[in-house]
Amino acid sequence: MSAVLQPGASVPLRVEHSEGVWHAAWRRFKSDRVGLFCAIVVVAFLLLIVVAALGGVAKNWQREVGVANAPPTFLGPRPAEAIGVIEVPKGPNVDLSAVDPLAPRYKEWDERAAKFKTEETVKAETLPMGADRLGRDVLSKAIKGTQISVFVGVMAALVATGIGTLLGAFAGFFGGKVGDFLEWLYNVFEAIPGILLIFAFAAVFGRGIGTVVLILGLTGWTGLYRQVRAEFIKHRNREYVRSAEAIGASVWSRIFSHILPNVSHVILVRMSLLVVGFIKAEVILSYLGLGVGIDDVSWGTMLAEAQSELILGYWWQLVAATVFMAAFVTAFSLMADALRDALDPKLRGLE
Amino acid sequence: MLLSIQDLRVAFRMGKVDGVATRADAVKGVSFDIAENRTVALVGESGSGKSVTAMSILNLLPDNAERSGRVLWQGKDLLRTPMAELQKLRGREIACVFQDPMTSLNPVFTVGDQLIEPLVKHMRLGGKAALERAEALLVEVGMPEPKRRLAAYPHELSGGQQQRVMIAMALACEPKLLIADEPTTALDVTIQRQILELIAEIQRKHRMSVLFISHDLGVVGEIADEVLVMRHGLIREQGPVAEIFAAPKDAYTQALLACRPSLQGNPARLMVIDDHIAGKDTHAPAVAKNPNAPVVLEVRSLAKSFWLKQGLFGKREFKAVQGVNFNLRKGHTLGVVGESGSGKTTMGLTLLRLHEPTHGEVIFDGKDLLKLNASERQLMRRRIQIVFQNPYASLNPRFTIGQTLVEPMSIHKIGASADEREQRARTLLGKVGLDGSAFGKYPHEFSGGQRQRIAIARALTLDPEVLVLDEAVSALDVSVQAQVLNLLRDLQDELGLAYVFISHDLAVVRFISDEVLVMKDGVVVEQAPVAQILEAPREEYTRRLLAAIPRGYVPAV
Amino acid sequence: MTVMAAYLIRRLWQMVPTLFGVVLLVFFLFKYFGGDPAEILGGLNATPEQIAAIRQQLGLDQTVWVQLGIYFKSILSFDWGKSWATNEAVSSLFASRLPATLTVMLPILILDVLLALPIAMWVAYRRGSLADRTIMVITTVALSISFLVYIIVGQYLFGFQLGWFPVQGWSDSVWTNLATYAPLPVLLAVMVGLAPQTRLYRSFFLDEMGQDYVRTARAKGLTENTVMFKHVLRNAMIPILTNIGLALPGVFVGSFLIEVFFSIPGLGREVLLAVNRSDYPVIQAVTVYLAVITMVINLVVDVLFKVVDPRVVLK
Repeated sequence: MSAVLQPGASVPLRVEHSEGVWHAAWRRFKSDRVGLFCAIVVVAFLLLIVVAALGGVAKNWQREVGVANAPPTFLGPRPAEAIGVIEVPKGPNVDLSAVDPLAPRYKEWDERAAKFKTEETVKAETLPMGADRLGRDVLSKAIKGTQISVFVGVMAALVATGIGTLLGAFAGFFGGKVGDFLEWLYNVFEAIPGILLIFAFAAVFGRGIGTVVLILGLTGWTGLYRQVRAEFIKHRNREYVRSAEAIGASVWSRIFSHILPNVSHVILVRMSLLVVGFIKAEVILSYLGLGVGIDDVSWGTMLAEAQSELILGYWWQLVAATVFMAAFVTAFSLMADALRDALDPKLRGLE
Repeated sequence: MLLSIQDLRVAFRMGKVDGVATRADAVKGVSFDIAENRTVALVGESGSGKSVTAMSILNLLPDNAERSGRVLWQGKDLLRTPMAELQKLRGREIACVFQDPMTSLNPVFTVGDQLIEPLVKHMRLGGKAALERAEALLVEVGMPEPKRRLAAYPHELSGGQQQRVMIAMALACEPKLLIADEPTTALDVTIQRQILELIAEIQRKHRMSVLFISHDLGVVGEIADEVLVMRHGLIREQGPVAEIFAAPKDAYTQALLACRPSLQGNPARLMVIDDHIAGKDTHAPAVAKNPNAPVVLEVRSLAKSFWLKQGLFGKREFKAVQGVNFNLRKGHTLGVVGESGSGKTTMGLTLLRLHEPTHGEVIFDGKDLLKLNASERQLMRRRIQIVFQNPYASLNPRFTIGQTLVEPMSIHKIGASADEREQRARTLLGKVGLDGSAFGKYPHEFSGGQRQRIAIARALTLDPEVLVLDEAVSALDVSVQAQVLNLLRDLQDELGLAYVFISHDLAVVRFISDEVLVMKDGVVVEQAPVAQILEAPREEYTRRLLAAIPRGYVPAV
Repeated sequence: MTVMAAYLIRRLWQMVPTLFGVVLLVFFLFKYFGGDPAEILGGLNATPEQIAAIRQQLGLDQTVWVQLGIYFKSILSFDWGKSWATNEAVSSLFASRLPATLTVMLPILILDVLLALPIAMWVAYRRGSLADRTIMVITTVALSISFLVYIIVGQYLFGFQLGWFPVQGWSDSVWTNLATYAPLPVLLAVMVGLAPQTRLYRSFFLDEMGQDYVRTARAKGLTENTVMFKHVLRNAMIPILTNIGLALPGVFVGSFLIEVFFSIPGLGREVLLAVNRSDYPVIQAVTVYLAVITMVINLVVDVLFKVVDPRVVLK
């Protein structure tokens, strides 16, 4: 009684679970060599960050281990500057112990001082990537800065993505009064210039990593909101959603189980753009002194210091910060491009 | 000989898989000729390579296409002609009309601007002369108010009018060959008829040759002199139209001809290609239905309106559906016929409350569906289900087939355990003719016809009594259409389902329906048992619909 | 009433709630999270009596709602008040700072668009080729370097070392500014802005090139140049103009980075200074001013859309 199968439909017998969208995308991603290489670079950076966060490396970046503005190793130490040294007077010091009220206690203090260990660190003449104005190792700072800048960028992107996705889903799916209210909210946030919001929040909450994450996340959700809303509007009238409604699926199920997985690739690509944007924003904020706390280092604070150093001819901190940042952001962007291309062709067939 | 195609092969580069460049062969060696003043039809289902063959004549294929063979246009090999010379031919000696006129016309230029382009380029006409000629062309293609239309934008015209503009553009320089790629497929049935007649008339008047591509043998039979049947990139049969229709030699051609639901005869099942190739004869007449079966669905004065913004704060009512009444009996089928904009789809969606109705009653088992509260509505969902038109959009691309089938059961708590639900799902898959291994696969791995079966299986998971089929077979190839229609018939016989079958195709509706509702602009124009509609239609519109259906080749008596 | 007039009125009417929301947000943000304005104005050495007096003068001893009402009244009567830092009337502050901002931002926008367009079109036409991929990589790397670095290095190289441009400075004459002081910041900003613009425009062009009407144009025998420059470009202008429209409000607030680094007395720098000094009247005024400008520009762009895209139906 049943209709005949289509001729030539080769149905392999025991394949139970075939590859979904993500598996297919991963397979395609693997064959894109540039994308794969960049992904490896990004993963390497992330590992570095984890190690740095756990204290494995660059823990003592604040220690002043070098001579002020020590040049990088491959340049060799700076020749001793001919400072007009005042000749140390020869001859014994004048003995003041008769009139010096503290004289009797010197011996006692000397003994006490001898009990404390003072480390006489020999300040290094050169460091792998040079030293900054205070003699801190630029390489350690760069690594620590990577950790903080990337952390801020990723966390802020997660916050913004969360807010934007949730609000966009509701606005796009429901429309009507809910949509109108969310559109109003969006318009208000859009109308206020970004810098103002950021500065306002910063002035209010002060500096610090957590603050920066919150600020960037709370002000940066608008772009994603717009895109998610447009996608939900497009999908809510699609027949598979109508079918879900027809079989009685709940509103929650329709939004999160049905439509959201079909939109997740868009969100992922957008989020990767947000990460890059937020890293750059954090750099600028930290440069202005509104970003990470005083005791933290980020690429932004390094650039702030580098500006004055450059005029004196000390370029290594600028180069270190720029190279680390450029390497990570470029690798990340290219990886995101490859990811988008890997996700695209399959989905184009499904649309 | 105008055009001579010799052993044309077209392959598409599909990029590298595991480092090896892969190719998809679309056309595997096609040869045919087109003489002057002849209409040659290229017929095939989707994927047969007919469009690719036509597009490769003028090299309108995407960048990753590779052509080989010879395409001789009046002796010159077009495959080896430099682009500049090819551009001189395009639009002037060989012109094209494409399938979807809405996207084929540039949305930001007026009709007039686009019409005069070939005139200015090839015929070197000045601005004013070109506009006059453009207006004359619009008159020739039967466009009402041609002068006004010159200044209109494509989106302001209807589908039929847009296609007339495309035809006018193609005619501009009086080409010797017109390539028409499925020009009527995207149009309503009555408009289709008009455009077909227009093309035939133009061909006669200008003594032009036409290469007509279509999937519909019925359409082709009416206007072609010669027919070529393609399948999987090869020509299966070619010959004069009378021969092809009267005495087809190839099994595939025979099957294609036999699969079409026709307006004559009332078979229980449609011929399917495999059946035909296997030599089975399935012309047993249909078993008559029980006229006294209980009424499952009663609809009174159903109406649905949409409100559009107008003016400053006002609203305008758009009546999509007005006053629909019918009774549906168990095991019977109500066919709803109409063109686009008739409101038939809106009506179907309103039955399930996917659109909230403005007025009326839908009485199911004594209860008015439209007045149910939320929990009662959830119960109602089990009893009336829907299958949509687009098989590529009705299944969630991210769900496996198994997930799609099990979901309705989990929501309504059918089946005691997950295993039991899975078992039910597999049984249903078997019922619609699919292998159990489909359970773990994703929709993109299946063809259109298979996806529709899955959609039907999903609708059946809840054991409904009424199934609304919204153009469920319209997007399928003829042979696949036949399979799905047979399946629907079988399921109805076995399970006692009642169908509301919405379609624009009267022939299909005739095959499956017992009673027919004809809708136009939201209003029911005629309502009668199917035999009466076909043999003695009362309304003018119904008669027009019937007349518009392509009948294939009817030999002159 | 014509369709256009009805549309305009409806849009202006819709602006009101948004403006209301903006004002509300700014007011409460600074009220509850900012410092006490009386203390700020009083300065470090003010006595409690002085602070109380200032408070009364500013009306801060009234209830929240009265203060909100006063605030609204001042906005509606266009009385922005005086800057707390310089005692200059805020409106004259705007008038003097805006031209400087525009002198820098407008050339940047114009140059960005004019340069990105042909590059994007050229690259899109050759999608997948070596040139395309090279430019994509170059833009990606360019995008990954912070604007700060460009400014620091640019100032150092072109201003300090090579001496082609002055490192900082501004004058009173528009032409001097355009000729001498603006080129370096404009150059650096364009270099930075070109990368994302080119990528964006490239994707617009690619989208259009995949459309059916391109095939029709080719089938009519038009040359590739005509197809690209007449058909594709005209359609791609629609998203491009949308994009420019979105960027316009930014032109009016200026880039505070550029203005701070190059000591250009523009609006952006003014905002930064105001925030640092907790100069509330200026901050509040700028916020409202910018919100209004953004909404008006959006409205103008939407209306102009009708000219560019005939399919648009103003709702």
